[in-house]
Amino acid sequence: MEALDKIKRISKDPYSYALNLKQATGKPVIGNFCSYTPEELIYAAGGIPFRLFGTKDDISMADAHLQAYCCSLVRGGLEDALNGNLSFLDGTVFPHTCDSIQRLSDIWRLNADFAFHIDVVLPVKLDTESAKIYMVDVINGFKKNLEAALNITITRENLTKSIIVYNRIRKMLGEIYEIRSNSPDSISAADVYHIIKASMVMERDELLELLIKLLDELKNKATGSTLDTKNKKRIMLSGGICNHPDIYTALEESGAEVIWDDLCTGSRYFEGEINETGGPIEAIADRYLTRIVCPAKHMGMTVRGESLVHQAKKHDAAGVIFLLLKFCDPHAFDYPYLKQFLDDAGIPSILLEVEEQLPSDGQLKTRFETFVDMLD
Amino acid sequence: MITAGIDIGSITAKAAISQDGKILGSRVMFTGYNAVQAGKNVIEELTKEIGIPMEKIEAVVATGYGRNSVAFATRAITEITCHGVGAHFLNPDIRFIIDIGGQDSKVIRIDEQGKVVDFAMNDKCAAGTGRFLEVMARALEVDLDGFGKICLQADTPSKISSICTVFAESEVISLISKGETRENIIAGIHESVASRVSALAKRVGVMEPVMMTGGVAKNIGAVRALEAKLETTIQVSEYAQVNGAIGAAILAGREI
Repeated sequence: MEALDKIKRISKDPYSYALNLKQATGKPVIGNFCSYTPEELIYAAGGIPFRLFGTKDDISMADAHLQAYCCSLVRGGLEDALNGNLSFLDGTVFPHTCDSIQRLSDIWRLNADFAFHIDVVLPVKLDTESAKIYMVDVINGFKKNLEAALNITITRENLTKSIIVYNRIRKMLGEIYEIRSNSPDSISAADVYHIIKASMVMERDELLELLIKLLDELKNKATGSTLDTKNKKRIMLSGGICNHPDIYTALEESGAEVIWDDLCTGSRYFEGEINETGGPIEAIADRYLTRIVCPAKHMGMTVRGESLVHQAKKHDAAGVIFLLLKFCDPHAFDYPYLKQFLDDAGIPSILLEVEEQLPSDGQLKTRFETFVDMLD
Repeated sequence: MITAGIDIGSITAKAAISQDGKILGSRVMFTGYNAVQAGKNVIEELTKEIGIPMEKIEAVVATGYGRNSVAFATRAITEITCHGVGAHFLNPDIRFIIDIGGQDSKVIRIDEQGKVVDFAMNDKCAAGTGRFLEVMARALEVDLDGFGKICLQADTPSKISSICTVFAESEVISLISKGETRENIIAGIHESVASRVSALAKRVGVMEPVMMTGGVAKNIGAVRALEAKLETTIQVSEYAQVNGAIGAAILAGREI
């Protein structure tokens, strides 16, 4: 599968991909840490939204600026910004999410040397009338900031095209996830991980072409055979970012297959379609207001818990693994609440806290194997 | 039907042999550097001791962190599942297990069949483990076997506020230099372990009756401190340290 091989290469080394792309096209590459980044505007401005995942290197420079209780994403992201690994970035966008990301934005602005820096101060409570008006204002403001930073004008045509491209990409990512859920033999969980990761860093026109090819190949290959659930348990991951392809293989070796997720770097990235008719800014704002929330946002008391249970049931997950970054307080605060929803629905779950490196293989397998025993 | 369970822990290797729902014997030895050898030695010594040749053993389940180093095992099963089955075998009423071993602590909730319903493990940290107690016993020059009993003579247990083992050791050293009694310091150390482990237990939700397993269950100070923190009585079987191996031996019977 040629398209998949290319995607895996990019996912495994996104920095080299971005460097080459920058040299070849001169397009602005714009970093971000969050699936609430209004990427549609960056694409409309001719830029490449580039998701940052932290670092796999040792963290030393960043810790001069951050406390030890910051998550490895924040510390690792800053490390790469300070040590020059992100030299291909033209600028960075910080949507308002958790406290650590807010403070990282200030530290980044003062210490990392990129041409521009934009804060997107999104509403937090999304289910109010005032949030709707405010969200449109914020996205209009982001558009002006981007235009000023890149010295361009984002036209209505640019925006309309961007919405169409993003809808197509997100729809195809959803289809790939559905193929994985319906016919797990067709594509491995680790491959799906590589596809979604590459989707967050690639030049989106190139991505679109690759996804079309990939989906064609997959549809031809899809066996329609369901998982042998006697020997393999269907598992769903829930949490923030996942930058650990090894988790999928460790789970497989323990007798489980990830068939769906509720991750920021997963289904939350592609969920929700943008209305292609009407005002483009309003339509984009509407998607960010109505997509499944992350714990840094609010949309009523029960929405997140109900949505998790709904997804687990829809995809016939025997259990849920909460994959949380250590020191990620929004996710940690939501964990007991979400676990209660799963308990009430009779869906077993376990909590796994990870940092830039996974726990030792032994500890990981002990948890996974016991969890699989529990599901028998 | 004779079956065996072998539990290769970070500090000790345990073996148990069972016949038709009865424990024929058990054995504990140090794991040392070579987990493969430890697995062979512990079962060899036990078979010699109880006079049952290896060939008579129909199935072996290996457990513990070194469970995959036991080449002759029929199957490897995690120690969490095994402790659930072991505790259920020793007392079918048990619903909650606290297993404190050498390198980690685990809390396990089980159902009326001894099957794991929920569990939690401590993360990347020696606090709340047997190793923490070992380090402290060394700092206070007390033999590990007597370490727990000394707590019972404390009048006002010291406060150990550091969670980190290394920093807690510094705290203990400064308490020694302040002239605090050994009894009070040791009681404080056990309260500190109990605080860590009870927090983990409350996360999963304690259900009575509670049993403690693993090597640290032999330490009366740790058991009493946990009982106080959890406001419950904790059962400790004479087989506490080999409970994982017993569970493995029982599970081996289901492999046939």
